[in-house]
Amino acid sequence: MSIFIWIGLMLIGSIAWSIWFLKYPLADNGLDLQQSNITLGKQRKLELQSDLEQGLIDQEQYDQALEEISSTLALELNQAHVKVSSQSNINIWAGVVIVLLPIFAMGVYQNLSNYKPVSQAEVVDSQPLSLEESAANIKQHLDDNPGDFDAWKMLGITYFELGKVELSLNAYEQAYQINSQDPRLLVEYASAMISANDDQFVGRPVNLIKQALELDPNAPDALYLAGMFAVSVQDFELAKALWNKALTVLPEQSSDRQALVSILQELSRVESGNISNTVTVKVELSDKILAARSADDYLMIYVKAAQGRPMPIAIQKLPIKAFTGQVVLSDMNSVMSEKLLSQHDQAVVVVRISTTGSAMKQADDLQVVSEVVRIADNPIVTLKLD
Amino acid sequence: MLVELGHFALVLALAFACLQTVLPTIGLLRGNLALAQLSRPMLWAQFFWTLVAFAVLMNAFIVDDFSVKYVANNSNTELPAMFKMSAVWGAHEGSLLLWALILSGWSVAVSVLSKRLPSEVLNHILIILGLISIGFLLFLLLTSNPFERLDIIPTQGRELNPLLQDFGLIIHPPMLYMGYVGMAIPFAFVLSSLVRGQLDSTWLRWSRPWTLVAWAFLTFGITLGSWWAYYELGWGGWWFWDPVENASFMPWLVATALVHSLSVSEKRGAFKHWTVLLAIAGFSLSLLGTFLVRSGILTSVHSFAADPDRGAFILVFLILVVGGSLALYAWRASLMRSQNSFHWLSKESGLLVNNILLVAAMLSVFLGTLYPLLLDSLGLGKISVGAPYFDAVFVPIMIPAVLAMVIAPFLRWKKDTLARIFGILKPIWLGVFLLFVVSLLMVDNIFVALAVFLFIWIMLHSLTLLVGRIRQKGATSLAFLGMIFAHMGIAIFLLGATVTTQIGIEKDIKMNVDQPITIKGYEFVFKGVDNFSEHNYQGHKGRVEAYYEGELIANLQPEKRQYVTGMPMTEAAIDPSLYRDLYVALGEPLGEGAWSLRIYYKPLIRWIWLGGLFISLGALLAAFDRRYRLPVKNIGAKSRAES
Repeated sequence: MSIFIWIGLMLIGSIAWSIWFLKYPLADNGLDLQQSNITLGKQRKLELQSDLEQGLIDQEQYDQALEEISSTLALELNQAHVKVSSQSNINIWAGVVIVLLPIFAMGVYQNLSNYKPVSQAEVVDSQPLSLEESAANIKQHLDDNPGDFDAWKMLGITYFELGKVELSLNAYEQAYQINSQDPRLLVEYASAMISANDDQFVGRPVNLIKQALELDPNAPDALYLAGMFAVSVQDFELAKALWNKALTVLPEQSSDRQALVSILQELSRVESGNISNTVTVKVELSDKILAARSADDYLMIYVKAAQGRPMPIAIQKLPIKAFTGQVVLSDMNSVMSEKLLSQHDQAVVVVRISTTGSAMKQADDLQVVSEVVRIADNPIVTLKLD
Repeated sequence: MLVELGHFALVLALAFACLQTVLPTIGLLRGNLALAQLSRPMLWAQFFWTLVAFAVLMNAFIVDDFSVKYVANNSNTELPAMFKMSAVWGAHEGSLLLWALILSGWSVAVSVLSKRLPSEVLNHILIILGLISIGFLLFLLLTSNPFERLDIIPTQGRELNPLLQDFGLIIHPPMLYMGYVGMAIPFAFVLSSLVRGQLDSTWLRWSRPWTLVAWAFLTFGITLGSWWAYYELGWGGWWFWDPVENASFMPWLVATALVHSLSVSEKRGAFKHWTVLLAIAGFSLSLLGTFLVRSGILTSVHSFAADPDRGAFILVFLILVVGGSLALYAWRASLMRSQNSFHWLSKESGLLVNNILLVAAMLSVFLGTLYPLLLDSLGLGKISVGAPYFDAVFVPIMIPAVLAMVIAPFLRWKKDTLARIFGILKPIWLGVFLLFVVSLLMVDNIFVALAVFLFIWIMLHSLTLLVGRIRQKGATSLAFLGMIFAHMGIAIFLLGATVTTQIGIEKDIKMNVDQPITIKGYEFVFKGVDNFSEHNYQGHKGRVEAYYEGELIANLQPEKRQYVTGMPMTEAAIDPSLYRDLYVALGEPLGEGAWSLRIYYKPLIRWIWLGGLFISLGALLAAFDRRYRLPVKNIGAKSRAES
């Protein structure tokens, strides 16, 4: 049933309810206010009598209180009260309800609702959209609203998440043409460009980062990217200064803050020559596996302690379609900033294919585990899934 | 589509709130029975549609419908189902919807259970409640719509504040709102009486049980909040004089004064001015509290200006409620004249003194809470008002209130004599003195000594009163037992709060694995930290063994969690008992297996919440006194016979 039929039914039900009680009003309970006050006055007298019998008051106080109850009651009985009896003009009021209730309800609803029914509305109500569906919805929205800056920016982010970097850059460019003064867009755009350019900080992205910092010198994302640029040109002092500045503006609870702290620690190690250890993992996926699993399934490659808790020490998770055959795990991939990969001694490497990408092993996950390796040896591990 | 039907249901609820107000008003003015009697069915329809809207919003959370902005901002697919449901009231829009639902629920309860009220009086009350509902539903729909949609639907929502992902926070807000909203009932009774110009016995008698139930919920809600803060926030505190806490405490103080004032007005017809003003103040402070907490004013005055629509609505609504009620009060003040005099030494005087002290205490909290906000909003600088101010101002006001609290029940109505009252109280005071002297042998802290004195003072007076009444056959009513319970609750709370604050022990220490530390005879041994992972968080779980006289009494496992959004949380481990809690919170790793830990020894801390439960139970007992269960036929006998 369409939404309008449901709304119609709700209105009909509401009107029917109102009319019914207009035609057949609830009976007055027959209690009279004056009688109620008289009854309560009598009850107070009984309570007073009880107080006297229990010795809570003496005779003199009893007499005084009794007099007060009587005078209070006399005052209350003198007060006017409304008499309600007639049931005239019911049809007129029923007509008023029939006309005004739908007009009022529909008028208020139309003015307040920002809902735009789409063909997949039922789907929206039952489950969250996938990234592809989101991108499609945003595109559909942009067909009608080509000047919506936020939508172009969101489309750029969504395409980037989907790995469609070219489409992402196009969307960012559209957003940039509408508003080139949004630091957040400049950072996102620069980030996508750098990613498309094999992580090279050259050309326009550098200018975009500079522009973002001119607009907002405290933008943490821009400070982060500027720091990465400084590292790429071996200017570690500048990188540290930029990242420390970012730390001053990031909230205490922010996960970005913890990541940045971790990177700064890593940078200190690099500067002191104490370069962190790495575990290089080469994974061979058999044709059988590739045929059996979706390209969107996740490949989870992690290192865990050889003994003790099974929690990953360092992990990288990526879709099969994005896997190039090898990953290098370092302190940068550590799960806990205070328990870095290089702080561990013996470990095993685990490679798991998962449909959900959940941290917990699922029933249909495929997994292979390496022999024990020493982290300090910077091992290269080759594992085959078939 | 379902979300839109929820939105439309909320609009229909507003329409029925308008019908609940307008048609019965016309009916009462024109003497039209059919229109006047519409207040109840219109209210029931309003409640039904509000319930539908609430259910739809909850469903949107359960099915992760991120097309709804409120859902996308406060939930995600990883959130456990239980917290998805409680996330409905986890932020502003949903909690206001809960407010509106509870208000209509209270109104339905009044409409169904007030069989002893003449229909005309009930219709007036429901019209007032309908007006309040209109205000809230308009506020919801115009400035805080929980069904607002997002044009661009995110694939994943944000995180519900991890602090709210806890059982305590599932039940604390609904209970507190039951109290806040419950204060609307005595307010509606008062306003309907002022409108009708009939400040009579009927109003006084039948508004008291509702006030008591609201007060019970408010007490229970505040108690739950304190308990939650204790175990969830990880700093071992139970009250911080935080503005959010104060926002609920102010209506509680006024509601406490109101239940006492109502008893005098009901029994002796005195204090009517006072009762009317307290009922208006109680609900106004509940409104103020809700808006202060939910508008963001408390965290920053600038957030008020940041949402001018919401801010303007709040101001206008508060002005209408407070200003309108006070204007009505001024208009009808002459009707509240009372010729019922009382002596300076009487039960009336005792309750008046208590009322004045409670209101003075409320004003001290009001000043400490709102003055810094006022200064800030006027650009006159920032000041910080915290525990030292409240301890210095609030506590001295409350000590005489507590002392007088148990004397008043011994006083006679109207007039008493010093000789009679001294005659009764002398043996009690002797008992208090002797017990106090004995207890001083065990106490070396002046504040604890004062608390012990007050505890003995209240308990001995209350027990003497109880035993005296039990001896008098038939003199023990539920109202009386309720009073005794509530007063004892205050005593239990006072002792628990003072002892835990004054002689509780806190150690903030670095601990290596297998390192022991002894606190107040309890030996704590740190056994290390494990990593763990749950559905939407991972973290560290400490292992601390607690021994007493060489025997293992508890394995404490404090946690430090990192939620998927990156927000850290501390989960304290507590070994509870009636005499003391052992409380351990995990701090930071300090290298080589060592961690910082906070270990607390909290004597009698459970008494704080036990006291709150006693007060709530007392209020409920009093609300079900037989006086409020008068057979309906007794009230209407004459009028039915006449008709």
